[in-house]
Amino acid sequence: MKTIFTLLFSLLLFDLAFAQKIHVNGTVKDEYKRLALPGATIQVKGSATTAVSDADGKFRMYANVGDTLEVRFLGFRPQSFAALADEVEVDILLKEDFNDLAEIEVTGALGILRSSKEMGSSATVISTEKLNEGKTVNPIYGLTSKVAGLRINMYDSKVDPATQIVLRGNRSLQRTTGIDGRNPNEPIYVVDGNPMPNINRINPNDIESITVLKGANAAALYGSEGVNGAIMITTKSGKIGKGEVSISNTTTFSKPYLLPDAQTTYGQGNNGTYSPTTYESWGPAFDGSMKPFGLPLPDGTQPMVKYSAPESDNRLDLFQTGVNLQNDVSFSAGDEVSTYFLSAQYVDQEGIIPDDVNKRVNLRFNGSRKFGKLTTSYTLNYISNTKDITPDGPWISAYRYPANFPYDMVKDWENPNSPGNPKNYFIPNGSWLRNPYFLIDNIRNQSNEQIINGKVELNYQVNPWFDVMYRAGIYNISTEIRDYTNKYEAPGTRNTPGTVNDGSLFYRRLNSDLILNFKKSLGKWNNRLLLGQNIRTDDKKQSNVSASNLLYTDIINPGSRSGELGGGTTITEQRSMAVYGELSTGYNDLLFLTVTGRNEWTSVLAKENRSYFYPGVSASLILSDAIPAIRQMRRVSFAKLYSSWNKTGNVTLAPYQLNNAYSQSNGFPFGNSIGFLPGLVNPNQDIQPEFVTSYEVGMQVGLFNHKIYLETAYIYSDSDGQISNANVSRATGYNATLVNSGRMTNNILEASVTADLIRKEDFSLRLTANYTYTNNEVKELYGGADYRQNFRQSYAFVGEQFPILWVSDYKRDPNGNVVVDEATGDPIVATDNVKLGPMVPPHMFGLNIATGYKGFLLTAQFDARQGAWFYSETIPPMYEFGTHPITEAYGREAFVWPNSVIEVEPGVYAPNTDLTTSSGGKEFWARQGAVQSNTAAKADFLKLREMSLSYSVPQHFIDRQNFIKALNVGVVGTNLFIIRDSSNTIGDPEYLYNNTDGYYSFRQVPPMRTYGFTVNMKF
Amino acid sequence: MKNIKYTFFFLALLLQFSGCDSFLDVNSNPNSPNSDNLPLSAKLPAALVSAVNQETQQINQIGAFWGGYWGTSNEGANQFFDLKTYNGPGIRSQRDGIPVWENGFNNILYFRLIQDEAELEGADFYSGVSKIMQGWLFLRLVDFYNNIPFDQAAQGNTYLNPAYESGEVVYQKSVDLITEGMADLKASTTSTAENSGDLLFAGNKTMWLKLANTVKLRALIRQSEKGDQSYISREIQKIQQEGSGYLGLEENALINPGYLNSAGKLNPVWENYYRTVDGKTTANHLNIRPTQYLLDKMNEKNDPRISSIYLSVEGDTFGVIFGNPDAGNPQYDAEATSAFKGPLENDNQATGIFHAYGQSSVLISSSESLFLQAEAAERGWISGDAGALYDLAIRASFKHYKTDLTALDSYLAQDEVDFGQAVNPIARIIEQKWLALNSVSSIEAWSDYRRLGFPDFPKTAATGVEGRPYRLMYPETERGTNLENVEMQGNDVITEAKVWWMP
Repeated sequence: MKTIFTLLFSLLLFDLAFAQKIHVNGTVKDEYKRLALPGATIQVKGSATTAVSDADGKFRMYANVGDTLEVRFLGFRPQSFAALADEVEVDILLKEDFNDLAEIEVTGALGILRSSKEMGSSATVISTEKLNEGKTVNPIYGLTSKVAGLRINMYDSKVDPATQIVLRGNRSLQRTTGIDGRNPNEPIYVVDGNPMPNINRINPNDIESITVLKGANAAALYGSEGVNGAIMITTKSGKIGKGEVSISNTTTFSKPYLLPDAQTTYGQGNNGTYSPTTYESWGPAFDGSMKPFGLPLPDGTQPMVKYSAPESDNRLDLFQTGVNLQNDVSFSAGDEVSTYFLSAQYVDQEGIIPDDVNKRVNLRFNGSRKFGKLTTSYTLNYISNTKDITPDGPWISAYRYPANFPYDMVKDWENPNSPGNPKNYFIPNGSWLRNPYFLIDNIRNQSNEQIINGKVELNYQVNPWFDVMYRAGIYNISTEIRDYTNKYEAPGTRNTPGTVNDGSLFYRRLNSDLILNFKKSLGKWNNRLLLGQNIRTDDKKQSNVSASNLLYTDIINPGSRSGELGGGTTITEQRSMAVYGELSTGYNDLLFLTVTGRNEWTSVLAKENRSYFYPGVSASLILSDAIPAIRQMRRVSFAKLYSSWNKTGNVTLAPYQLNNAYSQSNGFPFGNSIGFLPGLVNPNQDIQPEFVTSYEVGMQVGLFNHKIYLETAYIYSDSDGQISNANVSRATGYNATLVNSGRMTNNILEASVTADLIRKEDFSLRLTANYTYTNNEVKELYGGADYRQNFRQSYAFVGEQFPILWVSDYKRDPNGNVVVDEATGDPIVATDNVKLGPMVPPHMFGLNIATGYKGFLLTAQFDARQGAWFYSETIPPMYEFGTHPITEAYGREAFVWPNSVIEVEPGVYAPNTDLTTSSGGKEFWARQGAVQSNTAAKADFLKLREMSLSYSVPQHFIDRQNFIKALNVGVVGTNLFIIRDSSNTIGDPEYLYNNTDGYYSFRQVPPMRTYGFTVNMKF
Repeated sequence: MKNIKYTFFFLALLLQFSGCDSFLDVNSNPNSPNSDNLPLSAKLPAALVSAVNQETQQINQIGAFWGGYWGTSNEGANQFFDLKTYNGPGIRSQRDGIPVWENGFNNILYFRLIQDEAELEGADFYSGVSKIMQGWLFLRLVDFYNNIPFDQAAQGNTYLNPAYESGEVVYQKSVDLITEGMADLKASTTSTAENSGDLLFAGNKTMWLKLANTVKLRALIRQSEKGDQSYISREIQKIQQEGSGYLGLEENALINPGYLNSAGKLNPVWENYYRTVDGKTTANHLNIRPTQYLLDKMNEKNDPRISSIYLSVEGDTFGVIFGNPDAGNPQYDAEATSAFKGPLENDNQATGIFHAYGQSSVLISSSESLFLQAEAAERGWISGDAGALYDLAIRASFKHYKTDLTALDSYLAQDEVDFGQAVNPIARIIEQKWLALNSVSSIEAWSDYRRLGFPDFPKTAATGVEGRPYRLMYPETERGTNLENVEMQGNDVITEAKVWWMP
């Protein structure tokens, strides 16, 4: 009878009418060592009543019956218990707050929480704290180098930088896929159970945790896009208890760094002669004199510049300090039946290029409510993002200009008597070489995105072993863009015609899942069966109107134009259906087995090919439970073995690719005169889904009382029959043909360690490290080809990693010395290109250090990658225009090419000691700039990606007042230092362009670093 | 609670059985037509324009630099680098190269698809036209690459690694294809409607036959030094027997889809080399200048066309040195040298190569046809007075450049021009042909040089460049997809390997 009574008490946590004061006595101990913990605080929840344990860990205090008491001790997880009866002795065993992987709950597929014990493939959970160490605006950046096997490249330093995300290596030869144009090596993004095209704009502070599911198992439950694994985001929900308001501000400042090296010896001119009207640095050496800059102005004055390179890199004058502001407020509350979480964020970013701005407003409302057996929950997220930037022009001209280029002098371009005015500008060239400030003010790309996403979820517990869940999700984005060039009338090539392109993109994804979930235990067997059905529709409509000859300055509208109106509309629709199931069984909580299967139907394939099935199986064994001997070893606290196998189907086609679409080009239609040409990719009705077979074996070990956790996994994947546009001989008439061909394998080794080196009351030190080795290999290409161009100098070669940097190089003797022409002395360019190496790093290493001292917490995230090559298209123009340091190395005279040899007879080489090159001027160096090996470098780096230092005001200060519940202040920084290979004078090796690994575009703005401060408060 | 249960099941049933098939049938393209939606008359114009665009821009530009016509001002010293340095690997590169091969075979495909469909439909006019145009395109490609695929070309996945045939065989097969096309044209009974999409001759079969004969004649003349003379005379005989003759005076093969004064819809030569839609100078107009050699030759002969084609600088014309050996010398600044003249510098009157934004694109000019006939007559292949044809050809050229015809007779009367006084009549024909096709069909000058060694324009003056360009190298795209076949062709070095008809 008594037990029933107490049970009832413990269940009903709200105040009972007959509340009475009782004495609570107890002892607080360390669960593991069973030693007393002195100084633990015991607080009656929701009141100020507090006690502190004494030297023996004992405490005694008053409480009401039914009160919840919370026990806290630094370095341990808080624990609650209910005050049940007077003078009952309670033993409180606190668990140390360490990373107990075995106990972590992983957000499994479909948002179902499961113990990591059950997982037959590896999963990493990133908490909100770890995600937000660097206070990044885009949650993706916060994941960088924190997860083994996950490669994130942040690139481009404009105000809203882009990212590329690849999980467990490249599997596809394609660069884009599907209706949303995603990278085919990207994982699927699932937010609160709904797959989404991207998560760049989600407020990182709304995220409770991110689970990275690395195996292909996710595909069974989310569809083909899960073939590369899944990034599962769980957003915050309200907590039961008193409402909590949290506000925070983060302000950071950005500055560019790692500009490509430039020479500062020679200024503008040709062939060593100064010219006031050339931008190229082939003039005489700087001498400190005053020289005319451009032609005389309309008022007759001649602008003069000092002919010497300034102390600091003048290109930095183009940039400003970017300011990024994030303001957050959130409110959460909940009771026994309902919870809600409300948040608002405002982000205001000013870029490192003047006038670049990005503003984001992010609102979220998450809630849930129970009605008996029915649980309902919903999320609603509204995002508005407004961006206004100038395209790449200013920087493209900056690295071509001479070292004394007077940025200040040309700022005031609107003034008719300014040397910056297009009519007076020192060079008449159009395009990128115009005055950077003119470009900034007159060429703008503006966009406004409105995103609404959310879900409704109903869960009905039919009986204890069966529940039904229905979830409907929507992701809706509408983007308005305006790209324009303001007209500026000037003679000849100085003229800037006005153009405008007004576009809108509407994209909607609806996702619906109906899931039947059965649970039944039979003896020691815990069984679960999940059956689901999914429907997804994607609709996209893209329209634009454009005019290329606007009539009036500042009137940016296609209505004020001459000539034809341009533009068009593209409508795309894609649908899919699926049924899926997952059967899992666990024996005695130590052996787990899961079987999955999914049949999918997609609209983008021909009728007879559009249905495909894919299975998976995984298992895990808790060795430490299965073999008692292991448990008895004091050093080993946990050991698990796991393995999985999947064969996953994937369709990377976009809609309508099965037929050859004809279109009008080359100016057609000319009025009523029409003309249609076929597309040059030969379509193929018989395309089948491609399949990736993968398996994984792994092990998790907890050592020294869970102080150290090790996890290693080996993964093999084989993707065959890839849907790709295979390049074909143009003599077939077509440029490419759509095929199921190409095979690639990946051998991946992942290892991670979490070590709680110091775990004391007011001092802690935790290291988390991860390492990934990826060996991918192209096994087969279409038509037995040996290689296939991926992009520019990026190639797929059979038997090698993908992609490979394949570049032109000098002819070399067996020792690698450059062979020079015996007549001219110029280095000879080899007939065949050379392979330098892979363009994605085979080795990746991440290290996180977190150390706390009293209220201080210092975290640092290091990121190192090794073994890749990259190349820059910034460098060739710097050779050609004489800004590259190599062009000054030999005083611009003919010189003996260092370490060169002469081929005296075929295969016989003699050192070249005195034969000089044909010249040391522009023509010579421009030719060397075109030799691509000169513009490539090793992409190895070590970066301090994020660092933060924060201070939490101690609880006992906070407790003196009732207003603020928590206060935390800190400083944060990103990209604080980088160590790179000595061959790399190009820039940030992490940078790439449009999903093209290892390609540093000529338009790429140099990288930036940020630093700033952050304040968080809770009420 | 029961209700909710039922709702779930109902939802499930609804989603499951609401017609899986029709739900997924959304894969027909709502944005673009496919081949079945389009009549041949909607396809032919685009194929013709695509072919003539390659001819007047890419091919003419190579010819203009390698045929002694164009160089660049100091401002353009960095432009056309590969052409100025005979950089074979640069030209064949996929990224920054000159995709003559790629565009050429794409264009062949466009006509091949029209041919296939026309043959199915029995539309003889379209199959005839598309065969003639394919013949044209194959011949061009041989002139650049020598051995190329023919039988296995432009058939999509049927031949993924098209086998090459020797340049000579492709020449013969192309001529045969043109002959076949002519037969198709003649068999065509349907009167061709105005909206046939024939932008060239508006359905005029006779003109097509004349064009076809002219193209065949050009192919035969090209092999004057290397070809099988009996083959040549057999083919000439076929042309004579056919009887339609060649393009004569005033008979130009021009394509005009109805150019509009709107960006991207102007005549592309105008838009690329002269003025943008809002009347502003293009970069090419600033950068490209005549070679001093060309101007000297014109001045030697008091050629009145010089002032029609070029602007004068302080009363005289000034050229540049091809290859920019002396970049930076103010003598070769854009301002100090003669740019192309156009209506904006000529009281809005058409002049030189620029007549109007809507001017027709030249596939082959009457002047070229007349020079071909003059050479054939001089060689005794066809009957006719070589001198008279020569005079007519120059007349046609004067007309094209809008040069005052009253100056023609005195021009022709000069010792250096008069055909009758020529020591080497063929050389004289070629020299005048060179002057007549200046910047219009410039590629002929390069081919004539490769065939005969004249006109004797200088090679590039860029430092360290040996030899002269004989051909283009097989492109990277081809090496990446059909390497075995490429390697079987042997040496393709730009300054070493010859096209089959070169002596």
